[in-house]
Amino acid sequence: MAHSADALHHDDSATVKEIWKVTGILSLLTIVELILGFWMMGISSTGMIMTIKGSIVILMIAKAFYIVAYFMHLKHEVKNLIMTIVVPLALFIWFIIAFLYEGNSYKDLKNRYDPYKKQQTEIKVQKNEEVKESKKSAE
Amino acid sequence: MSNEVVLDSHGSASIAHEVHHGHDAHHEHHETFISKYVFSMDHKMIAKQFLITGMFWAVMGGLMSVLFRLQLGYPDATFPWLEDILGKWAKGGHISAEAYYALVTTHGTVLVFFVLTAGLSGTFANFLIPLQVGARDMASPFMNMLSFWFFFIAGLVMLSSIFVETGPFSGGWTAYPPLSALGSASPGSKTGMDLWIVSMALFVVSSLLGGLNYIATVLNMRTKGMSMTRLPLTIWALFFTAVLGVLSFPVLFSGFILLIFDRNFGTSFYLSDIFVNGVGALPNEGGSAILYQHLFWFLGHPEVYIILLPAMGMVSEILSTNARKPIFGYMAMIGSMFAIAILAFLVWAHHMFVTGLNPFLGSIFVLLTLLIAVPSAIKVFNWLTTLWRGNIRFTPAMMFAIGFVSLFISGGLTGIWLGNSALDIHLHDTYFVIAHFHIVMGVASMFGMFAGIYHWFPKMYGRYLNNTLGYVHFWITITGAYLIFWPMHYEGLAGMPRRYYDYSIWESFKQFSDLNRFISTVAMIVFATQLLFLANFFYSIFKGRKLMVKNPWDSTTLEWTTPIKPGHGNWPGEIPEVYRWAYDYGKDGRDFISQTTPVGADESVH
Amino acid sequence: MSTITTTVAPTKLWGGGKSPFNVEYGKLMMWYFLMSDAFTFGAFLIAYGTTRFASNGWPNPNEVFRSFPFAPEGVHAPLVFVSVMTFILIISSVTMVLAVHAGKKMDKQAVVKNLILTIIGGIAFLSCQAWEWNHLHNEGAWWGANPFLNADGSQSLNHFTNFFFTITGFHGFHVLSGVVINIVMLIMTLTDKFEQRGHYLMIEKAGLYWHFVDLVWVFVFTCFYLI
Repeated sequence: MAHSADALHHDDSATVKEIWKVTGILSLLTIVELILGFWMMGISSTGMIMTIKGSIVILMIAKAFYIVAYFMHLKHEVKNLIMTIVVPLALFIWFIIAFLYEGNSYKDLKNRYDPYKKQQTEIKVQKNEEVKESKKSAE
Repeated sequence: MSNEVVLDSHGSASIAHEVHHGHDAHHEHHETFISKYVFSMDHKMIAKQFLITGMFWAVMGGLMSVLFRLQLGYPDATFPWLEDILGKWAKGGHISAEAYYALVTTHGTVLVFFVLTAGLSGTFANFLIPLQVGARDMASPFMNMLSFWFFFIAGLVMLSSIFVETGPFSGGWTAYPPLSALGSASPGSKTGMDLWIVSMALFVVSSLLGGLNYIATVLNMRTKGMSMTRLPLTIWALFFTAVLGVLSFPVLFSGFILLIFDRNFGTSFYLSDIFVNGVGALPNEGGSAILYQHLFWFLGHPEVYIILLPAMGMVSEILSTNARKPIFGYMAMIGSMFAIAILAFLVWAHHMFVTGLNPFLGSIFVLLTLLIAVPSAIKVFNWLTTLWRGNIRFTPAMMFAIGFVSLFISGGLTGIWLGNSALDIHLHDTYFVIAHFHIVMGVASMFGMFAGIYHWFPKMYGRYLNNTLGYVHFWITITGAYLIFWPMHYEGLAGMPRRYYDYSIWESFKQFSDLNRFISTVAMIVFATQLLFLANFFYSIFKGRKLMVKNPWDSTTLEWTTPIKPGHGNWPGEIPEVYRWAYDYGKDGRDFISQTTPVGADESVH
Repeated sequence: MSTITTTVAPTKLWGGGKSPFNVEYGKLMMWYFLMSDAFTFGAFLIAYGTTRFASNGWPNPNEVFRSFPFAPEGVHAPLVFVSVMTFILIISSVTMVLAVHAGKKMDKQAVVKNLILTIIGGIAFLSCQAWEWNHLHNEGAWWGANPFLNADGSQSLNHFTNFFFTITGFHGFHVLSGVVINIVMLIMTLTDKFEQRGHYLMIEKAGLYWHFVDLVWVFVFTCFYLI
C-alpha cells in the first residue's frame, strides 16, 4: 500500500493534466458540433445535410470515447475488463441496423398501400409564427 | 498505464481480502428465524426460496394449463365445480372466453418468467455458483436477498391480478399492443394489464440484481486455482445466462415504459389507425405495433436461452458425472454456449416473419437463425459422445438429463422448420409452434430443472429424494410430454391455429376433437404426476433417507467437498484450492479425481 | 515494470483467488449495471430512430428549441440554451473526476469541494431542464400533444414530443438519482465514513454513474437537438 501511495503522488500532476486535457477536447468537440449545427441551418441540399449529420454522429462517438476512456477511467483498466465492456456493445450494430431498416421499410409500405395517408402528410399547414400573428391580428 | 495496473493489483487484492474477512466474522452472529429463513443472505437459503416460490408458480401455471385444456378437450361438457372455484369466469361450469384467454396468458407469463427464469436460474445460479467456484457467498449477499424479494413481490402483484374485477391480462404473454395498450380493448387490458406490467417491471429489477451478482461472483470470487477453463460447465452456462439477462431485460424494460405511456399518457408509440367497437376511432396516429414486437423480442429471444442454458449446463455436468466419463469437448461446449449467447441477440425477428416485417430483413434473420443449429448440434453430439461407452448409472437425475437431450433434439429440429420465413407463412400461429417451443424450451428446461433438483437435493437438504418415485415421475413425464406435444405437430401442419377458444365450431378442425381430448387427458395425468414429485420433494426434506457421505455421486466438483449440511460460509476452514478441471472421471484407472486433488507426478495429461 | 505486468499478469490474473480485472466486485457490478443501462437508453433512442425513419416528416429541432430564459419575446436563439446545459454537464463531470482523483489520494477536503461542485452542476442541469420543459409545455407541447410543424411545413404527428419528453425525462430521472447519490457520498465523506474504511472506492462508483449520465446526455443531445 505504501509504495502505491508513492506512485500515485508521482502520477498526480500527470493525471490532473490529463483530466484538463480531456476537458478541453470534449469542449472543442462540442463546439465543433455546435458550429456544424448552426451551419446546417442555412443549408438546403439534402446530401450536404446528411453529410453534416453523419459528421456530427462521428463527433458524438468521439466524445463518448473520451468520456468512457478517460473520465470513467476505462483506458487505464486491465485489457480484459475493457474487452468485456466494449465487445458486448458491438451488439448495438445489428440492433441499430435492423431497427432503422425496419422503420424505413414500414414508412415505404405505408406510403405505398395507404396513399390517402401519404397525401395527408404532404399538405402544408400555416407555420407557427403565421398562426401566432394571425391570432394577434384577430385580437 | 502498466504502473497503475501493478499498483491496483496490490491495492484491491488487499481490499478484497478485507471484505472477505468481514464476511466470515459476520457469519458467527447468532441467527434468528427471520434472518435464517426469511430475510436470509445465505445464498443456499435464497436458492431454496427461489426454488420453492418457483414450485408454487409452477403448480399455478400447470393448473391453469389443465383448466384451459379442459376447455379444449371437452368444449361441450360442463363442470359445475369450475363455477365453484372460478365464479363468474366459469358460469354454468363452462370456462368463458375471457377466462380462457386470461388463463393462457397467465400460464405463459408465469412459466416463462417466474418458473423457468427465476425458478431455474434463480435457484441454481444462487445455489451452485458460490459452491462450485469456491466462494463463501455471492459477491453481494444483500443484493442477492433483494433479488429474491423483488421476485417475490412481482409474484404477489401477478397473483393479485387474478383477483381483480376485470380479470388478469388476457392478450397473450407477449403483451402485444393494441390489446395491451388500450384499456378498452378487452376486460383484461384494464387493471389486469396494469398489474401485469408492474409485476414484470419488478421482475426485471429482480433479474438484474441477480444477474449482476452472478457475473461478479463468477469473475471475481473464484477460489485459488479455479481458472475459467477449470469451471464446471454449469457455471459457464449460468454465467452466460446472467450476461444474456443483464443485456436484454433492459430493452424489454424500455419497451414497457413506452407501453405505459401509451396506456396512460396519450402517446402513440405503438398505436395507429385503431377503431374500437363502442368507443370509435382513436386519435392515436403513426405509431407502429411492430416496434413493440421488435423491442419485446429483443428480450424475448435471449429469454429463450436464459431458460435453456442453465438446463444445458446442469445436464452436461450430470451426464458426465453419471456416465463416469469426462465431458466430451469441454472447450467446444463453452464455445458453443458463447456462440449461442451471441446469436441469441441477433435473431429476434424470426418471431415476427408474418407481422409485416420487411421480407428482405426477414431473410437475413432466417440466415442468422439457422446458424444457431451449428452450436446446438455441437452440444448434442458432445452429450451423445459423453454417454458413448460410458459406465452409466441410471439415477433419476441421469434419466432426466438424458430425457433433456432427447427433448432438445426432437424440439430443436422443428426449430429449423420454423426458422425459415417461407415455411413460417404456413406454420406461424399454429399448434406446430406450440409443440416446438413447449418441447425444446418448456419441457426440456423443466427436465433440466428436475435433473438438477434430483442431483443436488442431497446437497440442499442432506437427504435423498425417493428413487422409485423419481423413476415413476420420469417415465410418466417423458411419455406424457411426447404424447401431448407430438400430436400437436400434426394438428399444426394441418393448419390448426393456436389461441382459439373452441375448435368444435370450425368445420376444418372438428376432426381433431378426439385428438384434443386425448391431449387434454394426458396433460391432466402429467400434471398429477408433478404433484407426486412435489410430495416426494417435501416429504424427503424432512423424512428422506439421510446422507451419510459428503460426496454421494462420487463427483469431482467443489460443492461435494463441503460438509453434508454446510453453514453460511460453506467451508468450515479454508476454502480448498483447485488443481484440475472438473471432469477427471475414469482417469488413469481411477474412478474420479476431485478438483482439490493436486496433480500427481505420474498422471497423464488430458 | 511494464514487462512484468505483460508477461506475468495474464496467467495469474485468471488463475482464481483474485479478481482477474484487479477491481473489487462493486466496481465490476457498477460497470455491468451501466452496460445494462446503456441498453435501456439504447433501446429508447433506437425506438426513437425507428419511429423517425418510419415518419414522412419530422419537426426541425432548431425551430423548437430556440428559446432562452429571460430573453425577450421574438428572439430566436437555437442551440444556445442546450449548449449551456451540455457544458454544465461536462463541467460537473470534470469536477466529479477530480473528486474521484482526490479520493484516491485520500484528500478529504478536495473530495468535499469537488462533490459539492458536482452536486451544484447536477442541480443546475436539472433546473435548466425544468425550465425547458416548462417552456415547451407552455407552448402546448406535452405527451400526446405536439404544436410544432414538420420541417417541410406539413402537420406533424405527436412522436417528436412523445419521445422528447420520455427520453429526456428518463435521463433527467437518472441525473436526479445521480445528484441524490452524490449527496449521500458527500454526507458519508463529511462523517468520515471513507476515512474509517481507508479508501474512497464508493466515490469512484458514484463517479462512474455520474459520467454515464453525462455520456447518455451526449447521445440525447445529438439525437434530439442536433440531427
